[in-house]
Amino acid sequence: MSKEKFVFIEKTGEDTEAIRPSLTYWQDAWRRLRKNKLSVIGMFTVVLIILFGFAGPKFTNFSYSDQVNKYKNLPPRLELYEAGDKYFYVSNDYNMFLVEEDGTLIDRLNLNPLKRDMINKIYTYDLGEEEVKLDFSYNILPSKQGYDYDFTIEYNGQVVEQPVATKWNKVYLFGTDSLGRDLLTRVMYGAQISLLVAFIATIANLFIGVIYGSISGYEGGRVDNIMMRIVDIINSVPLVLYVILLMVWFRGGGLWNIIIALASVYWVSMARLVRGQMLSLKEQEFVLAARVMGVSKAKIIFRHLIPNAMGPIIVSIAMMIPSAVFTEAFLSFIGLGVSAPKASWGTLANAALSGLTTYPYQLFFPALSIAFTMLAFNFIGDGLRDALDPRLRKG
Amino acid sequence: MKSFYLKRIVSMIITIILITMLTFTMMHSIPGGPFTRERPVPDEIMRALNEKYNLDDPLPVQYLKYMKGLVTFDLGPSYSKIGTSVNDLIESGFPISAKIGLLASLLIVVLGIPLGVISALKQNKPIDYFVMFMATLGITVPSFVIATIIIYFFAGKLGWIPSFGLSSPASYIGPVIALAGYSLSFVTRLTRSSMLEVLRQDYIRTARANGIKEFTVIMKHAVRNALIPVVTYVGPMVAAILTGSFVVEKIFAIPGLGRHFVESVTNRDYTTIMGITVFYAVFYLITIFFVDIAYAWIDPRIKLGDGE
Repeated sequence: MSKEKFVFIEKTGEDTEAIRPSLTYWQDAWRRLRKNKLSVIGMFTVVLIILFGFAGPKFTNFSYSDQVNKYKNLPPRLELYEAGDKYFYVSNDYNMFLVEEDGTLIDRLNLNPLKRDMINKIYTYDLGEEEVKLDFSYNILPSKQGYDYDFTIEYNGQVVEQPVATKWNKVYLFGTDSLGRDLLTRVMYGAQISLLVAFIATIANLFIGVIYGSISGYEGGRVDNIMMRIVDIINSVPLVLYVILLMVWFRGGGLWNIIIALASVYWVSMARLVRGQMLSLKEQEFVLAARVMGVSKAKIIFRHLIPNAMGPIIVSIAMMIPSAVFTEAFLSFIGLGVSAPKASWGTLANAALSGLTTYPYQLFFPALSIAFTMLAFNFIGDGLRDALDPRLRKG
Repeated sequence: MKSFYLKRIVSMIITIILITMLTFTMMHSIPGGPFTRERPVPDEIMRALNEKYNLDDPLPVQYLKYMKGLVTFDLGPSYSKIGTSVNDLIESGFPISAKIGLLASLLIVVLGIPLGVISALKQNKPIDYFVMFMATLGITVPSFVIATIIIYFFAGKLGWIPSFGLSSPASYIGPVIALAGYSLSFVTRLTRSSMLEVLRQDYIRTARANGIKEFTVIMKHAVRNALIPVVTYVGPMVAAILTGSFVVEKIFAIPGLGRHFVESVTNRDYTTIMGITVFYAVFYLITIFFVDIAYAWIDPRIKLGDGE
């Protein structure tokens, strides 16, 4: 070709090629994770739950073990009855409370034992020098059927049948439990225990699983075979059975016992995952290069192999945390949890079970907390999987 | 094929031996015997009891005797329920648990798979969002919460179903839903994602291009292939139903095996804990064994014994 055919084209302004900053693997993953709205919501929720659990108790007026016997089983919403310009709340077990108009508890009124008329179903309470009468015979006595209210309150010559308002319980926002402990503080404290158990057990699982799995995968051959048979045997029975056995063997539901029980069983899935990663990674050239240069086995595993397997490991951690919360709640629920007055969400739910029909709010709050936590971690886990491990991406 | 069965059976036996050894040593390392009561038992009676239940023998001998009992399906006496053996508990409890478990499994298959398929076919439509919302809820809410909500609303407020026991057909509804909840949601999600995957495949497009009816394409080509990963979930599902029954039977006051187990855990009834654990383990192992054989039958691509 002749030289004349080569002509410089005129420069038409800037080079149109877009220059993007080069991203590392982690920067790219972080960018994708931030784009996933549900994951971001999940992360915010987890931060909120952690704050709720660890900072929250500093802002309540009670500790998790403070018992105020006269204020037991108080709901978060109070139905107020107004009689003689005073406000009253009557609990399900016919305790009368003097309340301010905005729902702040003032005191429980004393039931006058001399004026306890069980036949006509009328209780009389002392309010200073005066008396408050509660007539709860409606719809109970055969002669008083078909009323749309169950009791009347008489004070200062005024008889009221219907509540004037339903107000939030200003003193106990989530109500109290059967021993008069503040449920809000207990749910916060339960968050601490549940999250601590989940995090520590997961970290322990991570260490055992990663070390076990990487040794098994890297060594290969007979070592791998024996180590994996052990994992297979452990895995061939529902893992919860081992945890229950261990908990029974520990003879107590201390916080550390639960953590040890969870940590000593659930590492098997992590070990399998890491082994699989090791098997494919160890064949790659950079490992060969390291080996040729005389890098020690331990260094190859910890400096070269594990960092490269970090993506799937992190995804698996994000899925392990909620399942640990779940297992802990399950254990507490069948009576193998932390012992009173300590509480986790599972023990709170278990304690609420006996009074469920009368005090449903006692179950509602711990159950809601478990569900929120699970949901948040699941969202994060899904997002992490999409960001870190494109092969596992869901349809 | 034959070597696969042999290998599986050998590993099953090893697992059972290890589990019994583990539970046996654990339960025997806890201080206090089965006949330790607040009021001390007279020495002669204690000696007679110990002799009857071989408690004077060294531990390995006791273990061998326990294993001998196990082989002849004798799991020994219950420590806390005087006069009942662990066998009695299993015989009375297991049929009840199995009934609920089977009904729950049926519900999971009959409801979960169609819901997943519909959800995948109507991807990003309101019905898909609704089904996925319910499924996410089912996975995140623990079974004991589902069970208590059912009791509170359907048994307490509405009075549609009894709140405890298994006296009438209606009383099965609560426990079965609570037991199925988690796995049902999981199967729905799994079917949906696997269905979406399959629908993108070339052979589905080819089938459609050949003019095959849409219904046939879905039922014959898509669903059958989409179900393979769902069948794989059966193993974990059995585990979820077994452990789920601990909680559900406790809440609904059903005298099944799960409740006996939880009771024995609270009473620290060591022989019962040991017996039921071993029973669960063996039951689970056998189920998984049959499930594995079923895989090879359903999916010809899976060859038994090639896993190494």
